[in-house]
Amino acid sequence: MSANGGFEPKIIAFLCNWCSYAGADKAGGMQKPYPPNVHIIRVMCSGRVDPHFILSAFAQGADGVLILACHPGDCHYKEGNCRALQRHRLLSLVLQQFGIVSARCRMDYVSAGEGEKFRRIITEMVEVLRKREALPE
Amino acid sequence: MAGGGVKIGIYFCNCGSNIADKISADAVREASRTFPDQPYVATVDFICSESGQEQFVESLTFERPDRVVVAACSPRDHEGTMQHCLARGGINPYLMQMVNIREQIAWVTEDRDRATEKAITAIRGAVYRVRLQEPLRKKQVAVCTDVLVIGAGPAGMKAAVSLAEAGRSVVLVERSPFIGGLPVRFDELFPALECAPCLLEPLMGELLHGDHSEAIELLTLAELWQVTGFYGNFIAKIKKKPRHVSLHGCIGCGECTLACPATTRNRLHNNGSEQKAVDFAFAGMLPNAPFLREEVCLRFQGSDCRACKDACPMGEDVIDLDEGESLLERNIGAIIIATGAGLFDASRLAGMGRGMLPDVYDALQFEHMLSSTGPTGGGIVTSSGEVPAAVAIIHCVGSLDGDHCAYCSGICCQYAFKFNHAISAKYPETVITHYHRELVAPGKEAYALMEAARTRRNSSFIRCDSGNYPVITPEGTGRLQVRGEDVVTIADMVILCPAIVPAEGADRLAALLDINRDCAGFYDELQGRMDASQSTLKGIYLAGACREPMDIQKALLEGMAAVGHALAGLQPGRMIEVEPATAEVATSRCAGCHLCSSVCPYHAISFDSEQHVSSVNGVLCRGCGTCVAACPAGAITGHHFTNEQILAEIEGLLK
Repeated sequence: MSANGGFEPKIIAFLCNWCSYAGADKAGGMQKPYPPNVHIIRVMCSGRVDPHFILSAFAQGADGVLILACHPGDCHYKEGNCRALQRHRLLSLVLQQFGIVSARCRMDYVSAGEGEKFRRIITEMVEVLRKREALPE
Repeated sequence: MAGGGVKIGIYFCNCGSNIADKISADAVREASRTFPDQPYVATVDFICSESGQEQFVESLTFERPDRVVVAACSPRDHEGTMQHCLARGGINPYLMQMVNIREQIAWVTEDRDRATEKAITAIRGAVYRVRLQEPLRKKQVAVCTDVLVIGAGPAGMKAAVSLAEAGRSVVLVERSPFIGGLPVRFDELFPALECAPCLLEPLMGELLHGDHSEAIELLTLAELWQVTGFYGNFIAKIKKKPRHVSLHGCIGCGECTLACPATTRNRLHNNGSEQKAVDFAFAGMLPNAPFLREEVCLRFQGSDCRACKDACPMGEDVIDLDEGESLLERNIGAIIIATGAGLFDASRLAGMGRGMLPDVYDALQFEHMLSSTGPTGGGIVTSSGEVPAAVAIIHCVGSLDGDHCAYCSGICCQYAFKFNHAISAKYPETVITHYHRELVAPGKEAYALMEAARTRRNSSFIRCDSGNYPVITPEGTGRLQVRGEDVVTIADMVILCPAIVPAEGADRLAALLDINRDCAGFYDELQGRMDASQSTLKGIYLAGACREPMDIQKALLEGMAAVGHALAGLQPGRMIEVEPATAEVATSRCAGCHLCSSVCPYHAISFDSEQHVSSVNGVLCRGCGTCVAACPAGAITGHHFTNEQILAEIEGLLK
């Protein structure tokens, strides 16, 4: 809970090492604050993100999951981000069956230079999830 | 392994005030008491500094932790530094996890309490993860440092000679009977109008009889037949057609050619001259030894002719009429593809007259006409033997065209200006009309030829930007009518400048090597900007126009670039190190579904059809983990990023 007693979502973010994690570091270099609700897990490629990780995060109390990848065509491993996108699309359909709306499991692209975009995505997602309740246990 | 009391050390870097101002080390220490295995917490002021590293290593040596968490800056900055420290402290570097509490927490969190809270969460995640991390070691694989070069054009020759100079053994495979590629048959090269064979001569000399030529095994009339193995340890099978003339014994005197009774039309000369069954492809060709065309030779049509053999002054052994095809096997460590390019077939465009009208030439045919060893001895004459009063040069044939070649080849304009110059030099009164979609003159040297063509009195330029090609039709008096954008001109000769396309057979070679091609059919780079010399398969490098249309200068540079990769990657006496953070299949759990190999971008996964299981080649695997996430049976372990480790990190973060 935040100081004003409002709901503070916990978000697990999977970031690929080469673009998005570097983008998050870039945001750090800018030293402009963003909400601290996101906990980053570094993977070498967004293609490593097993749908099981996402389900496990939700099962253990995450209010949102974020997957950030290289832009299409920029993947360090050529096409891992496309695999991540395919899996994310399918998983989103499954999650909705469980009442987990798509706003809670977001995929986006952040390049190594896009520190500002990283901030914007985090800020947006936290704002959207703040308006929602925590997921039921 | 975790469980029975693992000793975990958390090293908290203050980074001066960068971290310490926002995150309380004391609060981390306090919170760590609730972490599994109750790690100890040590603070260091600047752990990346020399004194910080000393302090870190000393503490590791003293404490001897089983696992280490470093809470500091981004692992992109100092993961390597920290891993070196672990190694110095006698701990396997893969037993450490770094937590980025500077870039991703201290610098971006306004409130000190919330920053500390977030750092504690992140460090807890790392502690959960690091308990499951395993010691990993780089594997060493012995390699062969010999290199196979495919194609003896400018790029391939440069690569072969440079590798030999560096002391490497080279197998140079060329499918034609001669070396030098396309330009060796040209007269002058753009942009400076130097003589092409003269420029290439020293390189060809180095290749054939230079100081290091013994290290180069040149196989002409040869093609790659099969490749097995992987980077560092390829086995190449090469099919060699019979030349019937020994490269070692022949002195190139041409007595056999004179004696040969069988003739055929010379295609390089637009069928305008004759060639013998045993002959040179063109005058001055290297290696300086003729070759025998079985499809023309009388002996292969049933006669017992041996006129060539009898005429040879070097004895019985130079010409071998019974020589057959051979299959050679060579061990190599790396492959450089330098197979060059060809021209878009302009006969695919209706209305351009290519192949239908005798005075419509493509650029290569016109190059041959300009050549002093060509069908006209360098004379520019029409099919009826006349000097052309008017010539139309048509640029962008098939280029900049979504239906054919959706790119600009970048060199055609320059040779078109060269053609303008060559025609002008001989026949200043000849009218030249250039039809073009775009005009390009890149680089520091191309402008002069373009400007000369544009300012020439009898030259004009017509821009065809409607997307339609000029239409060429016979005109009553034996001349040609060229209609482009409603401008009609009359010409005696039309020269087409077609798009540069991959060489014939590029598709077969790609399939044989299992490398990718781009949508235009050129070999695909590992990364177009950063890794353009590397193909999509490790240890196979690209040089020259097989990758992209380019001129000779760039092809030679690319030959050198490919050599750089081969030399840097494979060194005599040094094994290649295989990164341990790669994927591995537990064969007992593999169901043989092939899903992993279908998602692997590096062709690193092969299938054993006897055992019915997949396996990952550690040399080729780059550790992206896509196969690990794809495997429905959970049979693949992504070392250092295992499911268990990542799930533990999630658990730690959400506790």
